[in-house]
Amino acid sequence: MNTIQKKIWMLAGIVIVMMFAIWLALTFYNQKMQDQYNDILQRYLQMNEVTASSQQTVTNLNDYLSNPTARSANTLASSQQRLQDAQSSLLELRNADNEFSLTNYSNMIESFTETVERSTVFSEQGENDTALSEFTEANRMSVYISEMTLSIFNSELRTYERFYRDIIRQSQELNTMGILLLSLTSVLLLLFTYLFSLSITKPVHQLTKAANELAKGRFDQPIRVNSNDEISFLAKTFDHMRVNINKLILEIQQKAQVESELQESQLLLQQSQMRHLQSQINPHFLFNTLNTLSKKAYLDGAEDTSDLLVSVAGLLRYNLKRLDHTVTLEEEAHVLTQYMDIQKARFSDRLTFHIDLDQSALLYQMPSLTLQPLIENAVIHGIEPKEDDGEIWFRIKDETQYIRIEIEDNGQGMDGNKIEQLLKGGITPQEGHATGIGFSNVAKRLQLFYGSDNVVEIESMPQCGTKIILKLPKVMEVESYV
Amino acid sequence: MRRKVIFVLCSLCAVLGFFTVLSVNKVLNSEWELPSAVSSDQERQRIVLITQELDTPFWKLVGQGAANQAEREDVGFELWGSYGKNQEDFLKQVEIALHSKVDGVIVQGNDTDEFQQLARIKAASYGIPIITVANDVPVEKSLRKTYVGSDHYAAGELLVKQLVDDMGKSGEIVLLGDAELEYSERLRLDGMQDNLEQYAGIRSTYIESGSSDEEAADAAQQALNEHPNVDAFILLDIRQARVIMQEISSRTELEPFYLYSFDDGSEASALLTEGKLDAIIEQSPEEMGEKSVEMMMKWLRNEVVPLDSAGYVTDIRIVEGKGELP
Repeated sequence: MNTIQKKIWMLAGIVIVMMFAIWLALTFYNQKMQDQYNDILQRYLQMNEVTASSQQTVTNLNDYLSNPTARSANTLASSQQRLQDAQSSLLELRNADNEFSLTNYSNMIESFTETVERSTVFSEQGENDTALSEFTEANRMSVYISEMTLSIFNSELRTYERFYRDIIRQSQELNTMGILLLSLTSVLLLLFTYLFSLSITKPVHQLTKAANELAKGRFDQPIRVNSNDEISFLAKTFDHMRVNINKLILEIQQKAQVESELQESQLLLQQSQMRHLQSQINPHFLFNTLNTLSKKAYLDGAEDTSDLLVSVAGLLRYNLKRLDHTVTLEEEAHVLTQYMDIQKARFSDRLTFHIDLDQSALLYQMPSLTLQPLIENAVIHGIEPKEDDGEIWFRIKDETQYIRIEIEDNGQGMDGNKIEQLLKGGITPQEGHATGIGFSNVAKRLQLFYGSDNVVEIESMPQCGTKIILKLPKVMEVESYV
Repeated sequence: MRRKVIFVLCSLCAVLGFFTVLSVNKVLNSEWELPSAVSSDQERQRIVLITQELDTPFWKLVGQGAANQAEREDVGFELWGSYGKNQEDFLKQVEIALHSKVDGVIVQGNDTDEFQQLARIKAASYGIPIITVANDVPVEKSLRKTYVGSDHYAAGELLVKQLVDDMGKSGEIVLLGDAELEYSERLRLDGMQDNLEQYAGIRSTYIESGSSDEEAADAAQQALNEHPNVDAFILLDIRQARVIMQEISSRTELEPFYLYSFDDGSEASALLTEGKLDAIIEQSPEEMGEKSVEMMMKWLRNEVVPLDSAGYVTDIRIVEGKGELP
């Protein structure tokens, strides 16, 4: 990751490297020029040394000849040594232009040295006249040497004049280059700085814009920042936060929906209770009266009537007590048979009731007063309009996954539209219901209880009867719901 | 806005970068022109040509020829000398050359004791070969290796032949020569006088014309005074030609006279084209230069040992002036 710190370091690094490079180049050239100047000066100094030492040699030779002592011999030898040193360094000064004259010069010094030596040798042998003539010769040669030095100086000056001009031109070019380099560096720096500042401010700007969006409540737009530094990290975190907030909002919305559903179910319950209350006109009086009637009928020997009255009483009691409780399937089935007993008494031969119970399924719990309204529907819509041969099947089967309850009649049936209306609860219950609880109420209560939408199914065709199928999950021991 | 700024900066960068690269290139490529160094182990041989008359075109040509030949032979060469026959300076140069232990000295012969002293003793002691050029010094006096230049005796003969052709076999002529005749001038004089003996009808007189312009003018006056019937003048030294001709033309017409000279000076060609000189003996200075260096190199390389001490003769020819002959 390219951090902002890294970027700053890089910028500073580039500046430092550039400055360093320029400084290095300028220093290098300066040094080169200085070396050249030094070389040239050195040449002149070396040549001057030759002249000076040759003249000194002549003076010392003169001293020696007039006063030949060990001391003057020593000074002569040392000045000769000095001259030879100067001569040996001369060879390094040769170049194409002055090769000829410098070789001459060097040879001249050699000849001079030889002459001086000859002079001393003659002097030692006592041949003073010859020594003196050699001294004269040496003196003349010393003059030649100084003259030659001057002429070489002259030619060197001519040679190096060109060089000086070159150096001056070079330094002028160096100046131009320096100015150009400086301006180039400045512009480059400006560019870099601009890009660099842009790389920082642009993501910040994008982030600000995104924050504004969030502040306005738009949580659905993802935050994108084109950068690879800390700002992008910030942006990512920010985006993460946005996603989390989004999720939380959704959750809250879901919770609110669940709550509203809950309220709805309570409302339905209250509604059924209301209906229920409406239907119980002094139920205990009715209940007691029914029991008295049952006893009376039994005593009078009308046992059928007595049984019927017991059934009616049981049904009544059930209705009174159990609306907001769960019951076992067995209880529910029992109420259903009592109800069917009553109906059988009413319709006698016109109604045949078939019941088929799977004993293992009867233990499970379900909401009360669910099956009775359904079978009531079957009686009202399936049997009442028919002249005879009305049949109703009631089956409970244990299907391992769930419990399957079927209530089937062979009445006139209904078409798809009606089925749909029924399922959506668009049809209000008609008069004649024992409890006043309609199909849709039952269906809704089952759905709420089991928390599942496909509990109730209807199979029906016009003139071919109706079959209501409940698929109930297996629920044990639920004391109450709501 | 942002794009504009970046574009402007980038283009500025590009332009400046371009010029900077150009400038850097210039700085890096401009080498300081120092004379190339010479390695000390391969020393070229050095030859010096020394003359007393550096100022004359004749010697310039000799020097040029020698320099060309030296370049071909790849030897170091320098032309030294003095101006206007400065004897002292010339001898000093010779001495310096010998002390400098050059490999060979080519010198304009100088018929003086000092020169001979130098050539015989000093050059021999340093073991430096000497070749004379244009002007010879006899070998027994100078111990020179050889001589390269014109055969001056033959030049004298050639001029006499031209004179006889122009003037006929009878007449009076005056020979003018300066105070101290060089060896070469003496040879010319000998060549002419020996030849003139054949012609009985020609009377010749030798008049010394001194060394300065005044003396030369006087000599011309003297010649005209003493020999009023003179037909021709032969000048041994062309440097005196202008002065003498001026003197003659101040007295009488220049036209009727035959004027001859030997070319080793500056004024020969000018006077020839002006038509004042009737003919001169022209030498081959460039050939002399080339030949002398060639011979010196042959000697140094031991190719021709010994060199022909009689000398190597270069071409001479007669060149006639444009002026109408009488």
